[in-house]
Amino acid sequence: MFADSSSVSRRNFLYGLSVGLGAAALNMLLQADESSPPVAAVGPLAAQPQHHVARAKACIFLFMEGGPSHLDTFDPKPKLADLHMQEFTRQDKFASAMSSGKRYYVKSPFEFHQAGESGLWMCDRFEHLAKVADELCVYKGLQVDSVDHPTACYQMNTGNRFGGDPAFGAWTTYGLGTENQNLPAFVVLPEGAYPQGGAANWSNGFLPAHFQGTPLRSGGSPILDLAPAYGATRTAQRANLDLLAELNQADQARNPHHAEVAARMEAYELAFRMQAEVPGILDLAQESQQTLDLYGVGQEGTDSFGRRCLLARKLVERGVRFVQLFEGGWDSHDYIERAHTQRIRAIDQPMAALLADLKRLGLLESTLVVWGGEFGRSPDNGVRGGANVAGRDHNARAMALWLAGGGVQGGRVVGATDELGATAVETVHHVRDLHATLLHLLGLSDNKLTYFHEGRFKQLSQVGGKLIKELLA
Amino acid sequence: MRNVVRILTLALLVAGDDRAAAGEGRGAFAPVRAILVEKCLVCHGNDADDLQGNYDLRTRAAALRGGESGQPAIMPGKPDESPLLRAVAWQDDALQMPPKENDRLSAEQIDTLRRWIVAGAQWEAPAATAAGPARSADGWASEPGGVRIATSGGLSNDWDARLYDSDAVWAYRPIRRPEVPTHATHPIDAFLLEKLRARGIDGFAPPANSTTLARRAAFDLTGLPPAGGVSEEEAFSETIQRLLESPHYGERQAQHWLDVVRYADTAGFSNDFERPHAWRYRDYVIRSFQADKPFDQFIREQLAGDELDSQDPELLIATGYLRMGPWEHTGMTVAAVTRQQYLDDVTHQVGVSLLGQGLRCASCHDHKFDPLPTKDYYRMQAIFAPVQFAQRSAEFLPSENVRHFAEARAQVQARLDRVLAAQEALKQKNKEAIAAFLAERGVKSLDEIPAGERPKADYLGGTFGLTKTDLSLRKIQQKSRMYLERELQRFEPAALAVYSGPPNGYTSLKPLYAVPAKPKGTVQVVNILTGGALESPSEAVSPGVLSAMAGSNEALAPSAWNTIPSDSSGRRLALAQWIASSHNTLTARVIVNRVWQQHFGRGLVATPNNFGKMGARPTHPELLDWLATWLIDRGWSLQRLHTLIMTSAAYQQSSQRPDMDKLQAIDARNDLLAWFPPRRLSAEEIRDAMLLASGELNRAAGGPGVYPEMNWEVALQPRHIMGSVAPAYLPSRTPAERNRRTIYAFRIRTLPDPLLEVFNRPGSEASCERRDETTVTPQVFALFNSEQAANRALAMAARLQREHASEEPRLAAAFQLVYGREISPAEQARCLAHLTKMTAHHRAHPPTPTELPTSVRRGMVEELTGEMVYWDEDLSPLKDYQRDLLPWQVQPEVRALADVCLVLLNSNEFLYVR
Repeated sequence: MFADSSSVSRRNFLYGLSVGLGAAALNMLLQADESSPPVAAVGPLAAQPQHHVARAKACIFLFMEGGPSHLDTFDPKPKLADLHMQEFTRQDKFASAMSSGKRYYVKSPFEFHQAGESGLWMCDRFEHLAKVADELCVYKGLQVDSVDHPTACYQMNTGNRFGGDPAFGAWTTYGLGTENQNLPAFVVLPEGAYPQGGAANWSNGFLPAHFQGTPLRSGGSPILDLAPAYGATRTAQRANLDLLAELNQADQARNPHHAEVAARMEAYELAFRMQAEVPGILDLAQESQQTLDLYGVGQEGTDSFGRRCLLARKLVERGVRFVQLFEGGWDSHDYIERAHTQRIRAIDQPMAALLADLKRLGLLESTLVVWGGEFGRSPDNGVRGGANVAGRDHNARAMALWLAGGGVQGGRVVGATDELGATAVETVHHVRDLHATLLHLLGLSDNKLTYFHEGRFKQLSQVGGKLIKELLA
Repeated sequence: MRNVVRILTLALLVAGDDRAAAGEGRGAFAPVRAILVEKCLVCHGNDADDLQGNYDLRTRAAALRGGESGQPAIMPGKPDESPLLRAVAWQDDALQMPPKENDRLSAEQIDTLRRWIVAGAQWEAPAATAAGPARSADGWASEPGGVRIATSGGLSNDWDARLYDSDAVWAYRPIRRPEVPTHATHPIDAFLLEKLRARGIDGFAPPANSTTLARRAAFDLTGLPPAGGVSEEEAFSETIQRLLESPHYGERQAQHWLDVVRYADTAGFSNDFERPHAWRYRDYVIRSFQADKPFDQFIREQLAGDELDSQDPELLIATGYLRMGPWEHTGMTVAAVTRQQYLDDVTHQVGVSLLGQGLRCASCHDHKFDPLPTKDYYRMQAIFAPVQFAQRSAEFLPSENVRHFAEARAQVQARLDRVLAAQEALKQKNKEAIAAFLAERGVKSLDEIPAGERPKADYLGGTFGLTKTDLSLRKIQQKSRMYLERELQRFEPAALAVYSGPPNGYTSLKPLYAVPAKPKGTVQVVNILTGGALESPSEAVSPGVLSAMAGSNEALAPSAWNTIPSDSSGRRLALAQWIASSHNTLTARVIVNRVWQQHFGRGLVATPNNFGKMGARPTHPELLDWLATWLIDRGWSLQRLHTLIMTSAAYQQSSQRPDMDKLQAIDARNDLLAWFPPRRLSAEEIRDAMLLASGELNRAAGGPGVYPEMNWEVALQPRHIMGSVAPAYLPSRTPAERNRRTIYAFRIRTLPDPLLEVFNRPGSEASCERRDETTVTPQVFALFNSEQAANRALAMAARLQREHASEEPRLAAAFQLVYGREISPAEQARCLAHLTKMTAHHRAHPPTPTELPTSVRRGMVEELTGEMVYWDEDLSPLKDYQRDLLPWQVQPEVRALADVCLVLLNSNEFLYVR
């Protein structure tokens, strides 16, 4: 319509985009087979080769906010039963603001059983997880720097206690790109409420914004403003987009040397397609009743986490690199028996289903599943109101987490804590080493996965980490 | 005595070792030592108790002996058999050093090591000789291998002995006064043309047209599009002057500074509590830029306003600068840890914001690249050791906006009253349950019941008779109450401020509202923390400045300028005098560079927060120095600097030129500025310009933060705060309150506005030296799909409908409002066709009205039970909420016009300044 751009046909306009995201979108738009996820050839989110050959191509991180107790889940300490409610005084002034003064040892309210052929110890509240115990590699040697939730969450999720740095998921997608340009590369599935410290837990930090975690919402619009406001129709949107494209083409003809505008024009077409496709991808109604039951969807107590575990599986299936679930409520200073019982019940069946389902689909080998919180809990407590309300305080020096899939050999325990579970004593590593190891499992080298910022090449581990070789075995 | 020893040591170090120094020759040790210090000793020597792989590179014997493998690491004369050389050359997969890809040695460095091993791997300790190298005026010794810099002293002799590339420490050398080249009358053009011509480029691009230039200047100086289009009569210099005098100039300039200092209205972390008086610092910054306060004065006030005059409210408010970082201390944190966190934060932040030199690297080890010993880091930190937090009493100033306090306070109070009533209801429920209990037991008083069986009382009444949900609600209500009581504080005349003295026990839960009359205790002593660890204090240090800077080493040449007193009061003022000085080699360069970046998108130094070795080198070092001295000579007036830059041909050139393909080959990054670099509008500019186009912008200045409408799902999204959930984000009640400039929006660290965040508004944890301009798909959702964008487009359409009688002038006005130019006939024809089409569409598709919620269903996992708890949060303040104009309130024609407006506001011509 405008004199200087009338020769630019729609097809030419697409082909003309040889830079940046343009070609990616072209590739995608020209795909005949809609069922296969569109892969970008170029652009910041193009799928990238791994630094080294590794089985894991995707990661699902089940983040338990609040600090689940290792002593009441995977790290039984019979000694605590002997010391139960015995008083002692702690001296360590940096261990915790809560740990000074008069303290009482607290035994676990739970029985422990050995599960699977490997005989992995876990508390008796894990009824479903016990059935997939042989997939789990439990790690008990990790230590962190902080006993305060938000700083410990930031450290576990970004390496930096004070926030502002890219999240683990952001680094992963920076390193690996994504295999589906129609979905965010790094997806976050919070529970009802955002965790302490908020969105900085899935920030892109100083990495470009493409690598930011996108929270998918359980209600409302799964991606913010995915659907146009006030129910504008697709026809109306297409008409508006066509006018926009024409204005932009004319503008581009007047400013031919402004490369950035091409990528922006492209983003509008991609968005238009995403808003048609994404809701279908995320729709759990398409799943069989059998699958929904497996995950505990629709059942009291397990519905919320079950939905998110199932969604995580669907996303990974569709080529999403990194899915992080946040599940809070683990901060059991009091009433640990009933609180942890309920927390375990909420996650037990869904996460066991996730592992079994991934395995059934042949995805477990290529999907690294990580379970853990920001720190562990103390073997003792400044008991308020007697033994029946007993809980545990924060502990940065001992915790338990587990890995499954992604080439990790299951049915194993790596590392150990002392006889009270107060501090890790075997295969002890700082969180930076865990980060380097998890990246390694995803085919990335922490030392190569760097980004120049503020005068130095920064990395997830902050100052470089050592591989925890025992986890790789 | 200690100092004397130190000075002697320094002198010896400065004198150096001339055998090594002489050695440009084959196999010399000096360059090897430099490599070891830079690349190896951090892990293999600096910490003798933690040698990686048990390999020690501090002595020749140990270096040859090797580490835990048991094999010798160096075979003198046999480089190819020396594991050390194989490791640094990454020849084998098993051992690659340094381990980080980006730290790898250059081919040149590997060759230096190879030649050294071939020549027998001789080792020379840094030792004194009689004839040292000549010392230059800046106190540095120039040697063939580089310059040696005498600092306050590193943790090791090797670090002290290292040589620096002169070019890597340029920023620590005195600012020069270069001659202006003669290529042009405007000095900036003359400097730029000198470089352009040296690269075979004739000159600048042709001048930009007046529309483009007007838009560029207006956004640069005010963050808003030009008001009322372009006046043909006005000379550009007059335009600049008018924009500098616009009240929006200060707002725009302040935004840049607030990025650097990480402004927010909340404290971050667990509770993310409000800082009720942060807004007064924000307005102070705006006022300061608006008044063209000399930049050196601006520095002194922020660093030491309280020490200048503790009675002046303005100066107390200014010290909010020292409290801008995220910080929290609660019952769950360790006081010593959070205190150290603050000291580390403020030390680094002062370096980054004022000196263009990050300092944090030196908290654990002597700086790997820059002449910054760990000791200097802690000397700087000692300056802040007496800093204590307080909300100091400070009367409101006539220049502050306190106009709507009564109404605003009443709204907060109303919300608080509802919380108090809810608390009272639960207390009542508890009381009634107890009464029923007593009746059941057939007694009149609790005293008649055995102690063990009595319902317990607590600070909120008691829990007897309450449901599980009630128990959670008790906590949530109590937290909401704390939030709202804090919110009321913002109307009180106090400043987010500091004073100097001994520790005062400040916590986030119990802030301090007055400076203690009789401070107890002594001022904190700062020790060097080995490895940055609080558990490992070593030598105590006294306050001091960065000793590597020319003229700043008080051990070599003490002066009033470079010496910080050890008294508890006055340390910061002395630091401020050192920083805000024409002698400081960093300060003027750093601010000149920041201003340059505002206009050209990138600074002359591309890393405004890092002037060190790992930062970018200046593209035009002479111009940078010339501008720095020019600024100092003109009393640090930033407005004059803007005028100088904007009157240059370089600033006024087009972003397009015919020979661009050729130039791309010579200078693809446009370092030489052969064309004007286009930029995307920042997040705030996008929102503000949309509000201006729609006619909704409320230009009122200052005052406590307002609450713009944000995506409702995000606004009502529950957020965990310590043991509870934060109250909902409720937008301000009227459009006028909401539609203020974005800089006045209340900034919650843990709840970023998604529309702004997606357009690269930085987080408020770390200093932002330069906005990113990424293009990501969620931007489309935010700008093309969101209610916020739709509302602006609709308001704009309604305004056009109101102000113009027919479609043609409405479209013409739309283009004028969004692009600042006339509509072309082709554009008009196309848009008219669109209007016809969309009007028909909207007739056939009436919008479905929506209602705002009056309560929101909340859920969270209760940590006491591990179960989900659900409750309804009361949103009754939304009952008299005045919504924006909505689609079902207007005719289909207006909705069609809104479609055109939405398209314009999404177009590249709007989003980019060229």
